[in-house]
Amino acid sequence: MASTPRIVVVGGGSTGAGVARDLAMRGADVTLVEQGNLTHGTTGRMHGLLHSGGRYAVSDQKSARECIEENRVLRDIASHCVEMTGGMFVKRPEDSDSYFEEKLQGCADCDIPAEVISGERAREREPHLATDVDKAISVPDGAVDPFRLVVANAASAQEHGARIETHSKVTDLLVESGEIVGVEVEHGAKSGDRVHGVQSGRETIRADHVVNATGAWAGRIGDMADLDVAVRPSKGVMTIMNVRQVDTVINRCRPKGDADIIVPHETTAILGTTDEEVEDPEDYPEEQWEVDQMIETLSELVPMLADARSIRSFWGVRPLYEPPEVGSEDPTDITRDYFLLDHEERDGLPGMTTIVGGKFTTYRMMGEEIADHVVSKFGMDADCRTADVSLPGSEEFSVLRDYMDEFGLRSPIGRRSVERLGSRAEEVLGTGEPNPVLCNCEGVTRAEVRDAISQAGADLNGTRIRTRASMGNCQGGFCIHRLAGELHPEFDEATVRDSWDDLLQERWKGQRHALWGNQLQQAMINYALHATTQNRDHDPATQPVDFAAFDSGPGSDRRLGSDTVGEAADGD
Amino acid sequence: MAIDSEVLVVGGGLAGVTSAVAAARAGADVRLVSYKQSSLRQASGLIDVLGYVGDEVVVDPYDAIPELHEDHPYRLVGVETVRDAMALFDETVDGYHGDHTETNALLPTHGGTVKPTARYPAGAAEGVASDDRDTLLVGFERLVDFDAPLAASHVEAAGAPFSADGVTITFPGDLQADAKVTRYAKLLDQNSPVAVDGQKVDTRTALAERVAPHLDGHERVGFPAVLGDDHTDAVRATLAEELGVAVFEVPMGPPSLPGLRLEDRLFEALDRSGARYEVGNPVVDYEGEDRIERVVVERNGSRVPYSADQYVLATGGLVSKGVESDREGVREPIFDCHVPHPEDRYDWFEDGVFDDHAFARFGVDVGSDLRPRAAGGSVEFENLRAAGATIGGYDFAAEKSGSGVSIATGYAAGRAATEDLT
Amino acid sequence: MSDSADTPTEESFEPTEPNTGEEFEPVQVFPDEGTMDLRPGADSCTKCSTCDTNCPVAEVDDEFPGPKFQGPEQWRLKQTDDGDEFAIDDSIMDCSNCMRCDDACPSGVPLSQMHNEARGEYVDEQMSKLSTEYWRNRILANYRTSAWLASKVPRIANVAMNFGPARWVMEKTLGVTSEREFPAFATETFSEWWAAQGGAAGSRERARDARERRGEPLDADKKVAYFHGCYSEYNTPEVARALVRVYEHFGYEIVVPEQGCSGTPMFANGMLDDARRHAEVNVSSMADLVEEGYDAIASCTSCSLALRQEYPELFDIDGIEDVAENTFESIEYLRIHEDVRGALQDAEIEDELAEEFAYHAPCHARNQGLERQAVELFRDLDGVAVEDVGDSCSGISGTYGWKDEKYEKSMAIGEEMFDHMEDVESTTGMTECPTCSMQMEHGTGYDIRHPIELVAAALVE
Repeated sequence: MASTPRIVVVGGGSTGAGVARDLAMRGADVTLVEQGNLTHGTTGRMHGLLHSGGRYAVSDQKSARECIEENRVLRDIASHCVEMTGGMFVKRPEDSDSYFEEKLQGCADCDIPAEVISGERAREREPHLATDVDKAISVPDGAVDPFRLVVANAASAQEHGARIETHSKVTDLLVESGEIVGVEVEHGAKSGDRVHGVQSGRETIRADHVVNATGAWAGRIGDMADLDVAVRPSKGVMTIMNVRQVDTVINRCRPKGDADIIVPHETTAILGTTDEEVEDPEDYPEEQWEVDQMIETLSELVPMLADARSIRSFWGVRPLYEPPEVGSEDPTDITRDYFLLDHEERDGLPGMTTIVGGKFTTYRMMGEEIADHVVSKFGMDADCRTADVSLPGSEEFSVLRDYMDEFGLRSPIGRRSVERLGSRAEEVLGTGEPNPVLCNCEGVTRAEVRDAISQAGADLNGTRIRTRASMGNCQGGFCIHRLAGELHPEFDEATVRDSWDDLLQERWKGQRHALWGNQLQQAMINYALHATTQNRDHDPATQPVDFAAFDSGPGSDRRLGSDTVGEAADGD
Repeated sequence: MAIDSEVLVVGGGLAGVTSAVAAARAGADVRLVSYKQSSLRQASGLIDVLGYVGDEVVVDPYDAIPELHEDHPYRLVGVETVRDAMALFDETVDGYHGDHTETNALLPTHGGTVKPTARYPAGAAEGVASDDRDTLLVGFERLVDFDAPLAASHVEAAGAPFSADGVTITFPGDLQADAKVTRYAKLLDQNSPVAVDGQKVDTRTALAERVAPHLDGHERVGFPAVLGDDHTDAVRATLAEELGVAVFEVPMGPPSLPGLRLEDRLFEALDRSGARYEVGNPVVDYEGEDRIERVVVERNGSRVPYSADQYVLATGGLVSKGVESDREGVREPIFDCHVPHPEDRYDWFEDGVFDDHAFARFGVDVGSDLRPRAAGGSVEFENLRAAGATIGGYDFAAEKSGSGVSIATGYAAGRAATEDLT
Repeated sequence: MSDSADTPTEESFEPTEPNTGEEFEPVQVFPDEGTMDLRPGADSCTKCSTCDTNCPVAEVDDEFPGPKFQGPEQWRLKQTDDGDEFAIDDSIMDCSNCMRCDDACPSGVPLSQMHNEARGEYVDEQMSKLSTEYWRNRILANYRTSAWLASKVPRIANVAMNFGPARWVMEKTLGVTSEREFPAFATETFSEWWAAQGGAAGSRERARDARERRGEPLDADKKVAYFHGCYSEYNTPEVARALVRVYEHFGYEIVVPEQGCSGTPMFANGMLDDARRHAEVNVSSMADLVEEGYDAIASCTSCSLALRQEYPELFDIDGIEDVAENTFESIEYLRIHEDVRGALQDAEIEDELAEEFAYHAPCHARNQGLERQAVELFRDLDGVAVEDVGDSCSGISGTYGWKDEKYEKSMAIGEEMFDHMEDVESTTGMTECPTCSMQMEHGTGYDIRHPIELVAAALVE
């Protein structure tokens, strides 16, 4: 084919970013459009488990095999996003012995390295495990930071010439002569946002092919061209604990059920999850019983969870899909496999491919399959290289070093920072400028925040997902005003104030689900600081006050609107 | 035997100290016990009485008190008691302004906007926003809690009657990136020589020299609230003299130097009143049925009884753990006084960060005698009164009423306890 | 708003234990031997920074990142695979272990435990055992050993330890500052004096006489085990002797059990193994006595703090909780059990102690809630005035101010206290802590007394 094919990828989650990177590396002209931030949808709302495949070793061995394969790939190409914590399937006395054996056999069948260890050895490894845990199967589960991974994929795609447009919502598919030929996009309207690419207004982006990688939103995109993509969104809750109670992924070894996994993630532990089909991926109830169930059920595995501090909960929506003829009643029965829907084959409408289903761990493999599919349409013969080339940040680097000497940072702050930045650490931290810590909970410094702002613009949420700033125990209570300060003067005061308020609200959203004990205390302190001292709730910049009506100071002759007082005094 | 006094105040914040001072001045033998340090150190050091009723800004708090709902602590103690209590504060606590008028002042704070308050420390006085002198705000590069240029733009956006500019400078002495506010204050307090271009210059002079080139006609200069701790008046005076303009502090926190200084002034007042106090061990239990006979103070596992005739509960609210919660409910942990709260945890909060949250009003239920009441309305203990944020039913953050309610109810509780001595 | 339904009835009523934090039982999860998992302690932290504003080191040294960083933040950020040379930030060695942060925290974060554990780990894993710093710290921390040797030849030691050239060598080779004078060793240790008084048997007799005089039952259960600490033993036995006189005056029988160092200087230097050895001796002898109904008392506030707080936080030794619960500072114990306030109101001081005292509350006394004890107790005692010299730290923090590189910081911290001491009319100071008293004397030249000496002068002599 003579010219480079123009591809529009819709969706800035793991799948979209993975496809965009893959296609860009193969030489396609790629534009990625995302309605919110990168990871805005399901990717930003998952428990961060890097599957060993063990969870699917009995029920879905195809997925299990893919998981272990991709698990190995990601450890290699995304080392700065992955922490190899290891995982265990632990069995309580009441859990079935035969299922335990099936799980072990399943792991063997799928080439997942697995080893049975005694309850005692499991507790040596994880001392907070319940004393009556019988035994466990040890597997190579890990933790992965979805934000960092997607940002790195997008950055790599950009390096290979892709255009990334966040805060850009697809409003329509362009259909001409029975073919999809592009998308209508509305760019983020918020004033001063310097997000990726175009800031505001509408744009028509023409394409030789559109990839619909919008997960739970795939049906919405399909509707724009009267295509029926029956995604069955299923919600799951994740409850975040303030500290790690475990340093290994803990899975309950039983067939299926809610509240059966604890993932150590950065400074926290994430408890998951539920599985409930919902109508609308953007509007579904977030309920108390779900949070309570996480804590109560999982404290059967780790008793200290019952009284430990939770800092927030969030819900994600799985983009489950099954061919309509299967007709599962229960969402937990729907396969976790992914499906590539070629609308030319399926619906007779060429120009678009939709990818649905699947899971985060195998995002790259899905991306590869779509990219293969797309390039075949254009007769390109470029091979996939995403499994071989490290992501930006994951090139050779060492985490263990003398941070004080190198960057003037305290040990744990330096280490956390270098882990987040990977091979970009020198570039970002080695500025030689004074580098105070802005987010004390997560150890995020000014240099790292400024680097993130250079990518995310005025959107402090974008800075948050890149740095973890405001994601610790005070949930931004003590750092949001500091982060806002870093936006100024590059962005004007009104934009900064807007962005500040947005992040306050975003942090509040998740914290609402953790409002008891320590976190309610924290919420009250934050509220007192923000409302009492900072008057954020009645800011006279938005609720004007009559300055002249107020006290102008002790013994003052400067009372506003009564300047005669001063003159009279002079005259005497 | 028990450690004995006539009035025992539990809690060492604004409410507790005020009630102890009020009781001691009324002639009682008073002891105050406090577990650890109070939330005063986190607050701005401004003494708010009432800044908002609903979304309406309040110019005169005493005028606005009758608009509050009838169970509001101010309504329970009455406007005159609030006035008397503020008079006690003015008389016993040094270094505050605002008592020349009943009108609120608008003070700029480190968030960049202004807020209504009734009393302000001397250090903040020149910063009052209803004053048309042009203002220069100065921030320090490594002090991340105050961004002066942003605050200046913000205060202008708020419609202040003066023009404001902000500048960020490096504090003399090349302090490390994460130096604590107390380090800045100490350097200025001691006026220690710091190295500037190879010369040793006194800190205050060196700071003034760094600010001077930016003065540019501004008539007053605002600094983040780190201008000394023990000698803050002298620090400000030197800076004002060397700069030739008025100097003020912009309240910050937490951590808050103005809050620390207020705590010091309060404890000096407490000492002068003759009350005894101790800080460091929690009250964990009590003995008695309708009347509290004694309370138990825990000292590293040993339980020491303290007895008194009258008790004041001033342990604070959710912030200070005077009110606690778990997933099941909300309670007052020492005497288990009834704390009204919605049964469903998801009714404790609203969806917007500054909506009208139920949790912001959690606290014990009291009548006009400030005695905590059980769920049915009966008095919990005849010789126990509550004061300050332990009392529920009002949202101090939205109203900007925290300090005033603590002073008013502390005063009322301390006086009533003394009157009731048998 | 519907109220919660389950209000307890009077019968079922049990006050809820206030949340004082520290509810979890730390266990070992880090690979280094003995390092406990204190991450859950960070659950209580609200970032309010009250700890930071109480830190005397952060006030004079901006390179010190402060207790919030050293405690809840460093622990929360800590990782299980960081058993490398950069696991604990080396600034932990600049913490003086004054424990003011621990005392200040309004939310119950176990700060001193976090600091002690981190420092112990740092010294174990990251500090070279061949370094001068390590050996200097170890020698300073094991003051008892040096003092024991010196007490054998007190007069020679007093001259030799402060001999100029010797001090110059100590500073150059070990980094022990030559600015300070070593404290004088008494010619008769407290134990020697105690034995000469007939030991426990003699005390029992004197206590019975006192009860008879006071009209109390002869078999009253009034018995205490005295933890005198190293300093009262070797340097200021007059403090210990005053304590004996006061307690016997109130009818208490005293025993002086076998004891080592409390461990305070060892905690401060991260020498947790050394501290544990001494703690085992102390707990073992004290636990037996506690079981027999004795309470433990200490005249040194750092010793009482070690026994009642640091031991149970750091060690798992049989009987350690019982000892902690039954340990008191010496005057605190009398205030709880006797009407000392009344007795002092009726007394008068006329002798050489009739003057104004510049009183400094040691940080470790403050931690036990005792900062106002001396000031308020002597308020009504005729003939004396006790002036509080403010709430600053003295700056010496045991061995801290003896280190050459810390000396100037130590004096900068102490400056506020020295200034306030100078404001007091007389030239006599008062404090409960032996090393604070060294600092007070060093900074002002004042003579420093222990409050128990004043109680003895008022009530016994």
